[in-house]
Amino acid sequence: MKKDLLYILLLAAGAQFVGACKKELNVNPQSRIPIENFYKTEADAFAALVAVYDRFGFQAGGLYDKASIMDVAGDDQLAGGGNATDINDLQVMQLYTLNPTTGPESYLWSRGYSGIYRANVLLSKLPGIAMADATKKRYVAELKAMRGAFYFDLVTFFRNIPLIEGTVAIDSIYNITQTTPDKIYAYVEKDLGDAIPDLPVTIDVSKEGGRMTQGGARALLGKVLLYEKKWQAAADQLAVVNGPTPGGAASIYGYKLVSNFADLWNPNNKFNSESVIEFVHSGKSNGGWADAGASEGNLLCITTGPRSYSQVKPEAPDYFSGYSFLVFTKDFATFLHGDPRYAATVADLDSLKAAGAAKYSAGYNNTGFFLNKFIGRVSNKAANTPELNFFQDEYEIRLADTYLMEAEALMNAGGGVGVGSRAYTLLNAVRARVGLSAVASVTQDNIELERRKELAGEGQRWLDLVRWGKAGTVLAFKGFVAGKHEVFPIPQGELNNTKLVQNKEWQ
Amino acid sequence: MRATLLLHICALLFFHLFFFRATAQNRTLTGTVTSKTSNQPLAGATITVKGTRVATTTNDGGAFTLSVPASAQTLVISHIGMASQDVSIPSSGSLVVQLEESASARLDEVVVVGYGTQRKSVVTGAISSVRSSDLDNQPVVRIEQALQGRTSGLTISSTSGQPGSASTVRLRGFTSFGTDKNNPLWVIDGVVIDAGGIGYLNQDDIESIEVLKDAASAAIYGTRAAAGVILVTTKKGKSGRLSINYSGYYGTQGPSKKIALADATQYATLRNQSLVNAGKPAAFANPASFGKGTDWQKEIFNYSAPKQNHEFSVSGGTDKSSFFTSFGYNDTKGVVATPVSTWKRINYRINTLFKPAGFISFGENLGYSHSKNSGVGEVNREFGGIVNSALNLDPITTPYISDSLARATLTSAQYSAATRDNDGRIYGIPLYVGQEIKNPLAAIHNRLGNYSWDHNIVGNVFVDITPLKGLVLHSSYGTKMAFYGSESYTPSVYYNPSTSIGQTNINRQETWIMNWNLENTISYNRVFDKHNVTLLAGWGEYSDGLSHGATVQYNNIPATNFDQGSFLFNSLPTDRQNSSGSDGTLHRINSLFSRLQYNYDQKYLLTALIRRDGSSRFGTNNKFGYFPSVSVGWVPTLESFFPTGNVLNTLKIRGSYGVTGNDGIGEFSYVSLVGAGGQRNYTFGYGPNETVNIGYSPAAPGNPDLKWEETRQTDIGIDAVLLTNLTLTVDVYKKKTVGILQNPFIPAYTGYYSSFAQNFDDIENKGLEIELGWRKKIGEWNVGVNGNVSFYQNKVTRLLPGQQFVEDNSATFQTLGNITRTGLNLPYQQFYGYKALGVFQTQKEINEYTGPAGTPIQPNARPGDMKYANLNGDNAITTDDRTYLGNPNPTVSYGLTLNLGYKNFDFVAFGSGSGGNKIFQGLRRLDIATANYPTKYLNAWTPDHTNTSIARLVDGDPNGNFSRMSAFYLENGTFFRMRTIQLGYSFPKNRIGKWGMQRLRVYVLSENLFTVTKYSGYDPEIGISPDSGGGAQFGIDRGSYVAPRGFLVGLNVGF
Repeated sequence: MKKDLLYILLLAAGAQFVGACKKELNVNPQSRIPIENFYKTEADAFAALVAVYDRFGFQAGGLYDKASIMDVAGDDQLAGGGNATDINDLQVMQLYTLNPTTGPESYLWSRGYSGIYRANVLLSKLPGIAMADATKKRYVAELKAMRGAFYFDLVTFFRNIPLIEGTVAIDSIYNITQTTPDKIYAYVEKDLGDAIPDLPVTIDVSKEGGRMTQGGARALLGKVLLYEKKWQAAADQLAVVNGPTPGGAASIYGYKLVSNFADLWNPNNKFNSESVIEFVHSGKSNGGWADAGASEGNLLCITTGPRSYSQVKPEAPDYFSGYSFLVFTKDFATFLHGDPRYAATVADLDSLKAAGAAKYSAGYNNTGFFLNKFIGRVSNKAANTPELNFFQDEYEIRLADTYLMEAEALMNAGGGVGVGSRAYTLLNAVRARVGLSAVASVTQDNIELERRKELAGEGQRWLDLVRWGKAGTVLAFKGFVAGKHEVFPIPQGELNNTKLVQNKEWQ
Repeated sequence: MRATLLLHICALLFFHLFFFRATAQNRTLTGTVTSKTSNQPLAGATITVKGTRVATTTNDGGAFTLSVPASAQTLVISHIGMASQDVSIPSSGSLVVQLEESASARLDEVVVVGYGTQRKSVVTGAISSVRSSDLDNQPVVRIEQALQGRTSGLTISSTSGQPGSASTVRLRGFTSFGTDKNNPLWVIDGVVIDAGGIGYLNQDDIESIEVLKDAASAAIYGTRAAAGVILVTTKKGKSGRLSINYSGYYGTQGPSKKIALADATQYATLRNQSLVNAGKPAAFANPASFGKGTDWQKEIFNYSAPKQNHEFSVSGGTDKSSFFTSFGYNDTKGVVATPVSTWKRINYRINTLFKPAGFISFGENLGYSHSKNSGVGEVNREFGGIVNSALNLDPITTPYISDSLARATLTSAQYSAATRDNDGRIYGIPLYVGQEIKNPLAAIHNRLGNYSWDHNIVGNVFVDITPLKGLVLHSSYGTKMAFYGSESYTPSVYYNPSTSIGQTNINRQETWIMNWNLENTISYNRVFDKHNVTLLAGWGEYSDGLSHGATVQYNNIPATNFDQGSFLFNSLPTDRQNSSGSDGTLHRINSLFSRLQYNYDQKYLLTALIRRDGSSRFGTNNKFGYFPSVSVGWVPTLESFFPTGNVLNTLKIRGSYGVTGNDGIGEFSYVSLVGAGGQRNYTFGYGPNETVNIGYSPAAPGNPDLKWEETRQTDIGIDAVLLTNLTLTVDVYKKKTVGILQNPFIPAYTGYYSSFAQNFDDIENKGLEIELGWRKKIGEWNVGVNGNVSFYQNKVTRLLPGQQFVEDNSATFQTLGNITRTGLNLPYQQFYGYKALGVFQTQKEINEYTGPAGTPIQPNARPGDMKYANLNGDNAITTDDRTYLGNPNPTVSYGLTLNLGYKNFDFVAFGSGSGGNKIFQGLRRLDIATANYPTKYLNAWTPDHTNTSIARLVDGDPNGNFSRMSAFYLENGTFFRMRTIQLGYSFPKNRIGKWGMQRLRVYVLSENLFTVTKYSGYDPEIGISPDSGGGAQFGIDRGSYVAPRGFLVGLNVGF
């Protein structure tokens, strides 16, 4: 009896030794998808394309984006906020106390390169994905257009950057070196040039609004050429975008100035006829504080709102109480005062308060002048975490901008600038839209004044000042050092253990 | 697997049912065993009928009952640490035996090794043991604290003085990078427990703790043994009479230290200084008018926080079965913010063993605990914690403000949202300090009621079968099941102009986890001639990571305090009801192992083993790892040629080499995955067609070659007994970890979503450990001294090609960025920053401090500003001028215990300390110019006070005096702490015997009576912070919870 039991036992124990096999170690990956199972279908390709667009309209989890950085870097706006270190990256930008470890440069850098990586991955996978050739071509074109846009931003901000054409193999991660700006510009021009013919001329914006179009890519190419001071080439590209009759009939892409300037800032007026490239936001993504950067909502709407705002009388706007960032300087408010665009651009909270129509509390560096183009409204708030989920879009490029860019390019190319010239028509169409009388001719000063007023708070001012070579004088009062601050420091983390070299301005 | 498990269990059950049978009784003998040295009863002494297997052990009162065969003549009485005695069996009456202490005999203690026990005399690995007698009546509630200072090789620091908080445990330095991989493996009665899960253990239930330090001892746990293994054995019942024990204490505690902070007058003066230096007008016309102001520490401290612990246990048994069961209760109130800092735990344990027949035994060990605690929130964190608020809030703000003042200064919305105490008084609103800094009293009030809880059920069932003499089949199935969660209410509240909460919410979180392991071993022991051979083979299977959690939050509920908060408000609109779930990822390991233990005449010793582990974390290329080890020993004192004398009684020389492993890397790192959602989504379209599209992109690149991290360790040691009563153990070791698993920092230009995993870096630790024990009876006095000291040095010996440093797991501090860094050929995680050269006294000095270009290196400096070393020799102070500033990790730690006994009095003093490290004293918020100042800032440079090393205060800090990491923040971390002093009195047995008592002892005890240190913060003992930004090193002080000092009275009763 005892012996039998012993055998049973030994058998049981022995069986268990055999049981210690590999399959016990294969655990269910649950929601995880191995890369080899992906990039098979058109749906996969679309999802991968979406991830590239995500970087295109990407906002930092620290509640800022490219436009806000550019705004506070310029002369017309202050960082504001709750205190001297609130959204510190914007504060140090405003004061030009940024350095390779502190400042918004990491966001700008990683936005670009993660977008480029995602685009490169999908470009390499697309040939193997089963889908219609036409769709595939369109995807390739969209990816190249966005890659061009990412590189353009990177070279504008950092000047000396590495050109990553494919994906970086694990063993060469630390061996990447920088290339020269002209090579990057050439690459951008080629990407955009390749993209343009394969992009749709028009799209059904109700379904596809936000996706790259031929007009968008061409406007971007025009802008790139303008930044390169290739004036005539820039004007040629922008002319197609702007169409033969500026201020009149729509261009082949359907672009036409919106008749009422204020309508541009109505969140429900998405993908209007003036919108060339638009960063799309939604109130439906349920973005939360755990990862504010992942919200599809427009963070400008909450950051620009006045603090502790409350509507006392119905004539006061139903602003959603915000964080009082990106306030206009008093100088700028005075400068724009009297312009028909003033009310749509500037929210004068102190006047509202004085009239007893509303209450708010002063934030840091408060001027009372808020960026009305973006302040969120209670009537537009989302159900969940409303502060992170406003659905107003942002224009990356809009038609008034391309009008002014073409006018500037034409002027610099030596074209006519007087009455009847195309440059004159373009500039004055922007003025006429808001009911301003025509200026006599297109001059650098006129262009500068018009761009400053028309595009205030849209992230353009700093870029303009730098390319005009005026940042050193105009921004000196903020701490801008000419010959240094035109370029951002390469984030310190990118230099650690790598072959990258800090920009000489920041060494 | 399931089928075999079932078969196994069936087989076992069959055995269980079949072999319950009783054996015939003989004559019954009773007696007691006491210690000759201390006159105290000896529990756990073994009484064996010589030449037979008939045996029993004494209970806690030293008493035993044994049925002896009529033919028996002699008993052998033995006890750990005592010389054995042969005693003739008296023909009638009971037996009283006194055993004598023997240092040599202490080497004959049985120690628990992996999968078995071994006599200490033949152990060849480096194992330190802690006995329950060392832990008795220590007022600690967590096992890590119980181990602190008790053995060599361990560096243990608490992370917070909050009741119930965990400590950081590092065994023989840093074995790897990061935090989790440096946590030793805990094995409780054979059940593998993750480091975070040991809080359930009641230290009163612990019989012994063995620390397996060298690779040869630990390699049997190959898998996760690289950072060392700590084996805990809980108390078991002993055959003999029923033993009933109670022990408990009650006392009060207070903060052991208060930090010197500026008072209101000093604060206003310093603020004026800082503003005027920045070219701004002074803020305070008459600083003296503020007087002393509010002492925020005093407001939140409690000098009479009660603490109590009670343990009631019953144990007993026969030669057929035994049991130990206990019930424990602990209730400790925190010394800071007591209303929201409490900890309560109840424990229940039942360990049983059945021996229905000589060849089979089975039983279980089961521990259950439930704790409920409320904490102050952040453990060691500068952003809005209650402690940090008390340190940074200006002393001009008052604890309360009057209603009229509140109405006058606050808007109506702020007024209605201001926090009020239960009497309706309004807590003061910070006047000058903003951001997250709150009135700590208001913060306390608003946390009232919030709590977290857990239930732990940890245990195993096991069976041992001995079908043949020497052959043992052992099978054990262990699980750890835990449920934990929290309940909290957050009011809508206004704290200060930048911190307010717009809407109320209630939040409930619940998580369930289930880990299990199954182990089966076969061992065979045979003694022939002088050869003693034990062979062991086994397999094990381990599963963890399984967890299910859910969180529900209702927002904007109509409740104004915790008690009103409820999920009954379920008629809320759905957009105010949020919920989310979480799932863990399963982690599986399976193992095969075998071991040979051999000794010849206990003189020549050998242990060799190999373990093969497979982990679900690796791909097919490297799923399995092999972990071999070998250790040898020689006892020259047993050699006939060894001179006999009185000096060296016993000497054992041992050496070992072994390899252990670590699979501590995220699941599925070996395969490239595609991730979805989050920062990949984008919206297209508008109106009804607007769609938030879910984006997909590659997550981290996969690494199919990922494999086990390996730690190779050599240990050479001696165990010796000198002059009969001095024991000495010395170990030297060298431990090298190769191919550290990590997700290295990768530059963002690669565009990868996150870093990939790889094996690359190497780290090396070398150390020396000494343990000494001495015990002697001098007249009526018993004197015992035990001490241990450990030293280690570590060095990172390999990084990726071209890398000179890594900043993975670096600590960060506010605007200073990373403050630690790991450099090649340097110790792990050193402080890193600028080298200060003193304070500029004149503008001339500033102008003359130039670089190669001839321009001032610090053009923004003014007299009184810090002068920084220009280490890279360029024209400015930049991040490239930073250097290594010191080691945050203690490199020496030690403990010392003094035992004195005189008649019925006993006295124990126990202290421990560590040193060789620096502490980052980051108590003041750098990013809040108006934060209050520790008094050392009173010594800041001013034109009238130039003889100082502290730079001038200036708002904005243009020269970076305080906004650069420098040695200004570093202080010496060396300390010695008198942990406990205990004085007890045991009532003589002849007095208490008539009440049926075996033991009645009363004692008084002081906890943390004093700490010798130069450190200016609360506590030089600062473990690795669980908060983000804490890094993987010791010694970052962000205003952590002060350690309590307590005075307790206690009682031990035994029946």
